[in-house]
Amino acid sequence: MEEDKFDCIVVGGGVAGLSAAMTLAKANMKFLLIERGEFSGSKNVSGGVLWGDDLAKLVPEYWKDEEGYERFINHRRLSFMDEESSFSIDFKSEHFNATPYRGIIVLRAKFDNWFANKVQEAIDKSDYPDESFIANSILVDEIIMEDGKAVGIKAGGEEFYSNTVILAEGVNNLLTRKVGLQNKYVPVDYMATGIKEIIRFDQKKLEDRFQLDGLSGMSNEFVGYATRGIEGGGFLYTNRDSISLGLVLGMKDMRRKGKKPQDVLNEFKEHPVIRDIIKGGEMVEYSAHVVSTGDIRAMPKEIYTDGLLIAGEAANLLMNSGKAIQGMDYAMRSGILAAETATQAKGKGDFSSDTLKAYRSALEGSFVLKDMHKFQSAVQFLHSDDMFETVPKIVCDFGKDFFTIENKPTQKSATLLRKAVKKHSSYWRMLKLALKGGRSL
Amino acid sequence: MNFFACIKQVPDLAGPMRIKDGELVQDTDRMMLNAYDASAVEEALGLIEKYGGELEVVLAGPEKAKETARKALAMGAEKGNLISLPPDLKLDSAGYAEILSAFYKDKEYDVILCGKQSQDTDAGLTGSMLAEKLQIPYASNAVGMDVDEAQKKMIVTRQGDTGQEIIELSTPCLVTCSNDMNEPRIPSLKGIMQSKRKPFDTYDLEKLGLNSEELTASKVKTKITGYRDVPGREPGKKLEGEPEELVQQLINLLENEAKVL
Amino acid sequence: MSILSYIAISEGKIKRSSLEVVSHARKLAENNGLETHAVIIGENAGEFVDEIKKFGVGKIYTVKSPLLKDHINRTLIEAVVKVIELDKPKVVAFASTEAVKDVLGAVAARTDAGVISDVSSFDLQDNTVRAIRPIMATKFLAETESSADLVLVSVRSGSYDVKESPGDAEVIPVEFDLDEDSLKQKIREIISTSGDKIDLSEANIVVAAGRGVKDHEGKKLVEELSEVLGAAIGASRSVVETGMFSPTTQIGQTGKVVSPQLYIAVGISGAIQHVSGMINSKTIVAINKDPEAPIFDIATYGLVGDLYKILPLFIEQLKELKSK
Ligand SMILES: Cc1cc2nc3c(=O)[nH]c(=O)nc-3n(C[C@H](O)[C@H](O)[C@H](O)COP(=O)(O)OP(=O)(O)OC[C@H]3O[C@@H](n4cnc5c(N)ncnc54)[C@H](O)[C@@H]3O)c2cc1C
Ligand SMILES: Cc1cc2nc3c(=O)[nH]c(=O)nc-3n(C[C@H](O)[C@H](O)[C@H](O)COP(=O)(O)OP(=O)(O)OC[C@H]3O[C@@H](n4cnc5c(N)ncnc54)[C@H](O)[C@@H]3O)c2cc1C
Ligand SMILES: Nc1ncnc2c1ncn2[C@@H]1O[C@H](COP(=O)(O)O)[C@@H](O)[C@H]1O
Repeated sequence: MEEDKFDCIVVGGGVAGLSAAMTLAKANMKFLLIERGEFSGSKNVSGGVLWGDDLAKLVPEYWKDEEGYERFINHRRLSFMDEESSFSIDFKSEHFNATPYRGIIVLRAKFDNWFANKVQEAIDKSDYPDESFIANSILVDEIIMEDGKAVGIKAGGEEFYSNTVILAEGVNNLLTRKVGLQNKYVPVDYMATGIKEIIRFDQKKLEDRFQLDGLSGMSNEFVGYATRGIEGGGFLYTNRDSISLGLVLGMKDMRRKGKKPQDVLNEFKEHPVIRDIIKGGEMVEYSAHVVSTGDIRAMPKEIYTDGLLIAGEAANLLMNSGKAIQGMDYAMRSGILAAETATQAKGKGDFSSDTLKAYRSALEGSFVLKDMHKFQSAVQFLHSDDMFETVPKIVCDFGKDFFTIENKPTQKSATLLRKAVKKHSSYWRMLKLALKGGRSL
Repeated sequence: MNFFACIKQVPDLAGPMRIKDGELVQDTDRMMLNAYDASAVEEALGLIEKYGGELEVVLAGPEKAKETARKALAMGAEKGNLISLPPDLKLDSAGYAEILSAFYKDKEYDVILCGKQSQDTDAGLTGSMLAEKLQIPYASNAVGMDVDEAQKKMIVTRQGDTGQEIIELSTPCLVTCSNDMNEPRIPSLKGIMQSKRKPFDTYDLEKLGLNSEELTASKVKTKITGYRDVPGREPGKKLEGEPEELVQQLINLLENEAKVL
Repeated sequence: MSILSYIAISEGKIKRSSLEVVSHARKLAENNGLETHAVIIGENAGEFVDEIKKFGVGKIYTVKSPLLKDHINRTLIEAVVKVIELDKPKVVAFASTEAVKDVLGAVAARTDAGVISDVSSFDLQDNTVRAIRPIMATKFLAETESSADLVLVSVRSGSYDVKESPGDAEVIPVEFDLDEDSLKQKIREIISTSGDKIDLSEANIVVAAGRGVKDHEGKKLVEELSEVLGAAIGASRSVVETGMFSPTTQIGQTGKVVSPQLYIAVGISGAIQHVSGMINSKTIVAINKDPEAPIFDIATYGLVGDLYKILPLFIEQLKELKSK
């Protein structure tokens, strides 16, 4: 058995698991990555923006391989909506055209598969081309714990041993709960449902409609009427010849208001602004998935223990700030850091918490936990009723008055704004909100 | 018995595909082992467990298709063979049969297994073409198989038009397999690990005494000139309600609208 | 030169699909200034000549031999090849039966022919055969062509109408003999499952059972329904796998292709591999308790409900209707 023992076993071949695996392969670690789907990405419905440039470190010059990603982002838009209008902050800049890109749009079914192939190439180049593996179609049933220490995994009646296990099983973190690092039930308050449709266009038509050039792309986030007053927001990303259009909806709020995600999405699609955007497109795929809200209270009690590290959304690492969902970049960085910690542990020959706690400090020192701490109040602020109900209404009312030109004396914009605020709220409340927002963002 | 299985890599039909610029493209690059060939591999492994013997697999395809051959090794085949083809070479069943027959020329085998058809082309021709070229007896559309050890014969149950035929074939022979024969095993982790250490030979056309120009010019006799979407059916009527009402409505529609009763 | 149609005989009858093929072949031959020929191969090939004469063919080859009593691929290949060598046709058209699928590739390899299998339509123009074939479990259609000197085509049943045309064919009996030892194969047993029942691939009405038909009681309901309708029984792979229905009844990518006037899918979800075999049915009725089942996307009439409740009522009403 000893000769078959791995330096590391990674559970889950999503962004976190694959990033860990890539890091392990490059560090000449002998490892096993296990993914229950037939292909990496076959269980992954999401598509979205991978922010930041960590990918460039894992796959140098990835942008030259157009198979992996759909488009890069050089155009961003944040839209506030009421039932008939949208008021947008729109930013487009050449500054985003330089490589490494700051954000790429990916379809996970495709990206994960591509990434897994890159990991395989790295394995082939490592010291263990025939001893490191990516294994698909295998579900890990259990983490083998001996005296509180993770020593391997059980899958389909077989047992495999390793010095460290990286758990990267995603948001539905059954194994994390099984080993006791997270309570059995995570309150729904901390969870949301992400639903998404892929709507296909003729590529030329899509490029014209969104003013795309080559592989440039656009991301648009929506707040307000998009979710019909349910906590959450909407998003639109341009893929090569389709768009991903969807919503993230707070589970608790949805339950309370007795709404079904699909109905809310259908209503969103009928919004006059959205209707024009998607006109002529063909819906080709629908999917729904749980997603963390980024509430730090949902994190496991600890993200490491003897022989074990937890990465990605399994550890509920995610940020949903309204202007973007950041789950993949968090998964990527945490996967990298977990793998680096496992590599250091091998160097020291010590796989206990004592060594593995370095993972926590590395994560605390990185944007992942820094931002999660720093913007915690922002996350909670964004999930307040005011943010997805009152504010968008005020903004849109202001927009209507400001942009309407009539054969009447024009009012000053400050007056218009005051009028809009008064209609939907009070100065006092908005002032408080503005202060809170200012402080937390 | 000494088995060889011809296996093909095909796109995952469960994934989205479409016609783009006159070609069929997958949204994601997901390739699989042809389901009928997986059944062939499974059947051989089952017979080997019972009677002993060995299984080699051979796949003609681009270098990348090696991963599919590996899958067969992970299931339990002993040796892999890849006939590496230029990625842009377009072949029909006759082309593949020609290549495979060149491969088998100097091989020793008792039984060659094929799938009854490729999931992507649904052609169902390669197996019998190959048998004809190798001048060995064959049976197609097998739904069951056994070995007659004493006589060194294969006993094949094949699905015919109106029933099943149980046929005795002297070896060497070829059998094409239906997926109704068995449920192919999913490779275990151990199997996956061992697959990388198993012997694997790679050939190219030249090594088999062939070349792509000649294949395309004289062996490939059909070509695909375009693809079309399947015309959709007229949207129908979905009836919901109490069984009594449903049946009443159905009878009425069948009698008066569809006029088929 | 000719277009030669292979006339398949099954259980003492000409397969309707062969008549569809010869009807279409005649039209193509006329368009191309070719002759229409036919070949009948079987123990009693001569018995079917008169019927084929009604299809406006110029020559009918008959290959008669006791060796041809049961389907053995080697004998069929030799017989077909012999007639091809005699007739030297431009095109040989077959109905895509299991027996034909068994030999088509081998015949093509022997005669160095281009071969296009399982087409839903084909045409001949300027010496090129152009065909449409459903591929990938009928997810797409492929336009396929062959300009070989000899082209073999097999045609899905139900692709063409049967049309008679007067004519007085010359009948050419072909000598056929074969050393049985050279076959290197032997039939041990034939398990006929159809008996005197209706041939599924040519039936006008098909009642097909899927996994929703869970037990003996369900099976009996399906049998009763097919009885009152005079329908053939078909099945999805799931219930063939469990052994409840014979593999001969399987419809789909692996199984048979049918195109009846009425197809009743009972407890079938509508996986593409199943739909592949029945999508060309004229009227499709689906009975399924899951309103989201994909079968409803293609059904002419979809009944959302429990088959165990619906079938007894349906059978009863049909019986009443019949007695009127
Ligand atoms: C609709 C929607 C839109 C989103 N948009 C964005 C966006 O725009 N930007 C962004 O950054 N993030 C976005 N996210 C969030 C992002 O998708 C996740 O945060 C990210 O995928 C987490 O990566 P992961 O590797 O931790 O988990 P996952 O990607 O979920 O991967 C986990 C993998 O582990 C496998 N697995 C699980 N259990 C086992 C087991 N027991 N054995 C073997 N394998 C197992 C699974 O099959 C899966 O492949 C979105 C999410 C949703 C739902
Ligand atoms: C290469 C390949 C080839 C294949 N070839 C074929 C083929 O030739 N033919 C074929 O059929 N399949 C084939 N399959 C299998 C195919 O993919 C499906 O698995 C199969 O068709 C499913 O059969 P089903 O619809 O009976 O079962 P299921 O998919 O399990 O559907 C059963 C349905 O019954 C309904 N139901 C259950 N109970 C009731 C009730 N009481 N009343 C009403 N409805 C009820 C359910 O709602 C469900 O929709 C093939 C697969 C592969 C991979
Ligand atoms: N490229 C290939 N490599 C190996 N075997 C093949 C290849 N193409 C076809 N076959 C075999 O032929 C069968 C299918 O024949 P066909 O339907 O004519 O493509 C497959 O199931 C394989 O057994």
